[in-house]
Amino acid sequence: MNTTVDSVQHFGKIRHRHAGTRKASYYIICSILAAMFIFPIFWSALTSIKPPLEASASPSTYFPTHLDWSNFKKLDEYGMGLWRYVFNSTIVALLTVFGSILLSTLAGYGFSRFNFPGKTFLFITILAALMIPFQSILTPLFIILGKLKLQNTLLGLSLVYITFQLPFGVFVMRNTFETIPRELEEAALLDGCSSFSVLHRVMLRLGIPGIVTVAIYAFLNSWNEFLAALIFMSSEKNFTLPILLVNVRNALYGQVDWGALQAGVTVTIIPCIIIFLLLQRYYLQGLMGGAVKG
Amino acid sequence: MFRRIFIASSILLIAAFMLSACGPKATPTEVPAAAGQAANAPEASGDSTPAVTLTMWSRDSDQVLVESLVAAWNASHKNQIEVTIIPASDFVAKFGTAVAGGAAPDIIAIDLVYMPAFNAADQMTDITDMAKALPYFDKLSPSHIRLATYEDKIYALPFSAEASVLIYNKSLFKQAGLDPEKAPSNWDEIYQDAKKITALGDGNYGFYFSGGCAGCNAFTMLPLIWASGGDVLSADYSTATLTDPAVKATLEFYKKMWDEQLIPEGAKVDNGSDFFNAFQTNKIGMLGTGAFAISSLIANHPEIEYGIAPLPGQNGGTSSFAGGDEIGIPKGSKYVNEAFEFITWLYSEDVQLELYAKNSQLPVRTDLVENKYFEANPAMLTVANEMAVGRTPYSVKANELFNDYNGPWETMLQEAIFGGEVDKAINTAQENYTKILSQP
Amino acid sequence: MGNVGTALTNLKTNFKSPSQRRQRLGLFFVLPAVIFTLVFFIIPLLITAWMSLFNWPLLGKHTFIGIENYVNMFSDKQFWSSLWFTTKYTIIVTPCIFILAFILAMLVNLPMRGVSLFRTAYFLPVVIGLGASSLLWVWLLNDRVGIFNRMLMDLQLIKQPVVWLGDINLAMITIVISIVWKTAGFAMILLLTGMQAIPESLYQAAMVDGAGFWAQLRFITLPLLRRTFALTLVISVIGSYLAFDQFYIMTRGGPFNQTITVVYWIYNNSFAYFKMGYGSALSIMLLVVLVLLSGLQLYLLRGEPDI
Repeated sequence: MNTTVDSVQHFGKIRHRHAGTRKASYYIICSILAAMFIFPIFWSALTSIKPPLEASASPSTYFPTHLDWSNFKKLDEYGMGLWRYVFNSTIVALLTVFGSILLSTLAGYGFSRFNFPGKTFLFITILAALMIPFQSILTPLFIILGKLKLQNTLLGLSLVYITFQLPFGVFVMRNTFETIPRELEEAALLDGCSSFSVLHRVMLRLGIPGIVTVAIYAFLNSWNEFLAALIFMSSEKNFTLPILLVNVRNALYGQVDWGALQAGVTVTIIPCIIIFLLLQRYYLQGLMGGAVKG
Repeated sequence: MFRRIFIASSILLIAAFMLSACGPKATPTEVPAAAGQAANAPEASGDSTPAVTLTMWSRDSDQVLVESLVAAWNASHKNQIEVTIIPASDFVAKFGTAVAGGAAPDIIAIDLVYMPAFNAADQMTDITDMAKALPYFDKLSPSHIRLATYEDKIYALPFSAEASVLIYNKSLFKQAGLDPEKAPSNWDEIYQDAKKITALGDGNYGFYFSGGCAGCNAFTMLPLIWASGGDVLSADYSTATLTDPAVKATLEFYKKMWDEQLIPEGAKVDNGSDFFNAFQTNKIGMLGTGAFAISSLIANHPEIEYGIAPLPGQNGGTSSFAGGDEIGIPKGSKYVNEAFEFITWLYSEDVQLELYAKNSQLPVRTDLVENKYFEANPAMLTVANEMAVGRTPYSVKANELFNDYNGPWETMLQEAIFGGEVDKAINTAQENYTKILSQP
Repeated sequence: MGNVGTALTNLKTNFKSPSQRRQRLGLFFVLPAVIFTLVFFIIPLLITAWMSLFNWPLLGKHTFIGIENYVNMFSDKQFWSSLWFTTKYTIIVTPCIFILAFILAMLVNLPMRGVSLFRTAYFLPVVIGLGASSLLWVWLLNDRVGIFNRMLMDLQLIKQPVVWLGDINLAMITIVISIVWKTAGFAMILLLTGMQAIPESLYQAAMVDGAGFWAQLRFITLPLLRRTFALTLVISVIGSYLAFDQFYIMTRGGPFNQTITVVYWIYNNSFAYFKMGYGSALSIMLLVVLVLLSGLQLYLLRGEPDI
């Protein structure tokens, strides 16, 4: 690690003599780390395209003898087929992302730029939702959803997800807005803008990195969440992807299907990676654009 | 650019909102079931009552059987069943929450050991009269009926049947110079056979058990204790009898095999999801298992030569854990009669033979155990016979006593077999069992 | 509660000037979030608190027992054992996540080519669900079909497959590694956001003044990251305290019941022993612990960063 420290230290003052080796060691270190991070996922994806017998071979084999999509096909053979659950998960994820962004941005703006009585109390209350695990409030939540006629609906599930994204979302958006200088806002207000259009025109643009962070986190959590989805949905047609994957894995008693497990993991990851790559652009733009332009 | 994003997002959002609201509500209604199931329902001639859709929940370990049964029913009946498969480990949590939220299904298929607890909590519909009116009621699996009975009333009926037996790998027996037709009939024979097979080397092991699975070991180890004349609970299931010498003997037997490395190391952490995978690698000599093993081998590994024998006691004798799922109607269901129609249908000879026996599933009617499918597959007959005479502990605390991964049973196994402290393990377990049994 | 009451009264009587009226607008901005929190968190929480005063079985009738659940909690050895284990786990895992995340953030904060590739690679494990990730690691570490054992044996580093999850120390190490692997990327992104907000000009000025790497770190980066760091730390600590999936899936609380976390114990009580009333009491206790802990962290890390 010392090599990295040194290379970063001397970075500003580019010593051309050493620039080559510094650069090389940087790339080597980063690549080794990247390999360590990627390896388990790569290995899972590789196993998913192995023939099922090879996927559960003991001892483990390295490379597949030939490409085999049976593991993926198996995902489609249970319940109502893979696409139904992908569809459900997508709906829930979309609703959660939009709801989280909307509520977090509004609330973040409110907490950051206004001073109203009860502000700290409400902020802490929203944050406190982070501190309770789903397991503890499953039954009361289910009862409440029942009273709202939202049991066994994707909408109900999404609303619950949104609520539990709020602590993180509001915190991030508040932090984001805090770093934007008030002069910009005050100028706009003096020009006669309402607070709402200040939010819309000024803050949103500069708050992009925060919004993207909230969106990514909301998507990931709602896409991968298992327990609440299982408990709140009473019929298979409303199940989400994580539940299907458990059923496929455990299809036969005492014989966990390793190949199907990997196929499930791979299928689940792909949309998440795509979302991340897409949003990363805006994220990067926002970061480079700078929340603080001086 | 912002404007476009805003408009696109709004459209997406509204679409998502509307699509999400198109979910069916929790309580069963009289609307046709989802596409694919209603399509097959023929019109009942001259019957003017509207078709109802029943909701049924089953755990994932049974899903192949359940899906085939429900599909057959839906194809030939007006009333439709919408089945939902739920991961076994979360089944009770989900059911409990659903009951609390007023959204219980019409039918559930649940592990029979849970029945006493469910009945004590008054969760199931009393079907005593309907059950006793069945013509072959006394031929139904006795263990299931007993577990479903609470204070002389019957609240569930057998759905799927299981019994624990010993499976052994005939080709490994042959390789080790053992007679493949002679299954071990007492513990010493198991031990000796396991030793010879492990001595073959090359990754072969004589024995296997899931070291981290409470329920699996109740299924396969209790019979060993029973066949040796002991038990972990008194005859009326109210007192703990873990201090019975048969219990200690069983633990020491397993410990001996573990210490001498006749069992793969990984068995220690297997939580029950991998044990049959291990057998199917053709490198395990003997294993306690159930009927599900047979259907799996036939379907996936026909090349493995296996034999089935009853689980033996220390010096002979045999016993078995009669298990499986029960089917019942949770309280509050609006369709008790319709649900019972399904249950009755399950017991018809046609279904028991063509959908159960043919697919290597044990029929729950003991009078149908001898059938043409099992003649061709005598291993199934062995399991079926074991089931008929098998035992099942009856306790409202069954989950804590036998299924809890962190409970006294599993802890005792771990501490005795892997930790080597047999007496201490037994005493701790006895204390904890007594504590659990004394709680209301 | 009185605070809010007075505040609301003030709202009605004291708002005269436009700027004060404008301040009140803030309430409307936060209102949607507050309503959601109220309906889907506060009310269930109050119900849970209410249930904690009962002997409330998962199935069947409940009976009022007052604070008996809380009294029993004190003699519940497993609860204290779980609390201690969860704390130990948090103490181990949090610095690991942060140090790695910080290093990664520093590495990808440099204007080098290909940095976005590395950033994506480090973030990749974050996109997997925790349940799936735990199963992935169970598979990787498996003695029969796992690749780690195979590779170690092929490299002649071990002679026989190791049952990683069977030994308490090895199990802890591997679980910590799997969690650090899974979460460092996210902490990295959060820290990165904070780092990117620090103006380059500060670093340049510092260098002109002769400040080296460590000095820059100490006087510019860390202080200005304080807010971001606090947010990330609080979330990470809370997450670790609420750990459940990895222990449920990878070790089932073993070996020898040594890895049962607080939430695992709540789950067991509520859904395996059917004692929802007691499980609710445990949940409330956990909440109290976490509120205090988070408050402590935020207090210690308070302070306005001055740019």
